[in-house]
Amino acid sequence: MIALAAFRLAAYVRSHRVFQALLLTLALLAILNGSRAPRGAEASVLADGAVLLVPILAWAARSLLDTEPDRQREMSAIQVGGRGREVASGLLAAFATCAGFAALGLLWALLLGMTGAPPPGLLPAGVVLYAISALTGTALGALTSRAILPSPAVSIMALLLGFLAMLLLSATSLYWLTVPLISWMKAANTGALLGLFPQLAAISLGWCLIGLTAYAWLRRRR
Amino acid sequence: MRLSKVTFRYRRRDPLVIEDADAQLAPGDMIELTGVNGAGKSTLLRLLAGLARPSTGTITGRPPVVGFAPDRFPVSQPFTVTAYLRHMSRVRGGGARWEPWIERLNMGHLLGTPLNDLSKGSAHKVGLAQALMAEPGLLILDEPFAGLDADTRDALPSIATEVAARGGIVIASDHQGGLRGLPGLRHWSMVDGHLKEGTSAPPPVPSHVTVAVTVPTGDLARFLTRMREDGYQARRLRTTIAEGATAQDTDEPAAVETPDERTAVEATHGPDRRAPETQETS
Repeated sequence: MIALAAFRLAAYVRSHRVFQALLLTLALLAILNGSRAPRGAEASVLADGAVLLVPILAWAARSLLDTEPDRQREMSAIQVGGRGREVASGLLAAFATCAGFAALGLLWALLLGMTGAPPPGLLPAGVVLYAISALTGTALGALTSRAILPSPAVSIMALLLGFLAMLLLSATSLYWLTVPLISWMKAANTGALLGLFPQLAAISLGWCLIGLTAYAWLRRRR
Repeated sequence: MRLSKVTFRYRRRDPLVIEDADAQLAPGDMIELTGVNGAGKSTLLRLLAGLARPSTGTITGRPPVVGFAPDRFPVSQPFTVTAYLRHMSRVRGGGARWEPWIERLNMGHLLGTPLNDLSKGSAHKVGLAQALMAEPGLLILDEPFAGLDADTRDALPSIATEVAARGGIVIASDHQGGLRGLPGLRHWSMVDGHLKEGTSAPPPVPSHVTVAVTVPTGDLARFLTRMREDGYQARRLRTTIAEGATAQDTDEPAAVETPDERTAVEATHGPDRRAPETQETS
């Protein structure tokens, strides 16, 4: 399974598709962290970056999964010993890609986005927040990949609308019905990030798990 | 391995692609699967490989190691032949070795070639190598002889026999009858979604078919090269200049429809292994 994930990562890099998401990530980070935020705004810097990275991470995950031709995906499933392992290795490769970009975002925010060091406790929360961002991107990207949505137009629309739906829903009192992206940002802006962290993290992880399970279920016959 | 009352449809309300397929496969079996286009051969192969699940019925006893060579190898991948096979060997694990198949499939000269640059026959060999590298207990070949050069066409039946002799099951969807003549070969045919086992071999396929193709003269070299790379014997027959100009080497009427210069060529594919002919008769 690890070898198949490595094969897909290698294809993603060697096909140069990786640069599409990398350039977008760099552009977004350069804009977001164009000037250092004042002291006390460290939580906002981390949360805003983690939330705004989600669509790019989803695009990267979708792009990685779509690099492999459909026929090769079938051959890979046979080589690795079953459809389940093939799906799991694809998700692993997609998450590794998203985690790499998320790590870049986190490092950029820490080094260039804030004045001074983050207060105690915020850094571990920031790491988990970026990991959740990577997981959200993986789930959204997988659900809009070609194996699920064969039409490129429908796929990219679903990705963007999915992200917008997450934003809109999480701005309401029904924020728990999705990954609560806006709630993360609001909590960071009001200084309540660490207090609300367990609740928001649990909701986010729950929805990521549901998204990934839905992907695996839909891939049973595809 | 056993298929019991297997039916398959792609979606709930779609018509059945395969109906009530029953079959028993024993270690060492070699099976030739035939049928017209759209009869369900590839679907049956996907079911046997475990790539699709039957809508109803069961497939049991599938060997743990399956090799699958598709009819069209997906060349749109950013790897050379070596890099691809090395990756596939790692994915297989368990000491799967691709190196021995390089010589047997006559593909040593292709190792550094990007997959994208391979001809159809060469790409097909890569597909065969990845299917064979792990000593499969079930080897599934979808049109294995298509586009192969004569040497590899000759080698493939003995490779299939070796897999069967080791206790593997070999099943090949094959329009070209490349496995015919092998002792103990079973014949399956797909007719309108029904799997039938024949007691006798289908009528022999002609060993040679010759076709004439008319191409613009500018495309001639590339066309001949491509045909020869794919294992066909191709040669130039005649050149014709239409619209009042003199035709060269035209014993027969030329099949020319536009007023530019065109060349008729002949292509043959079969076990006759003469050196490619290049009769430049103009």
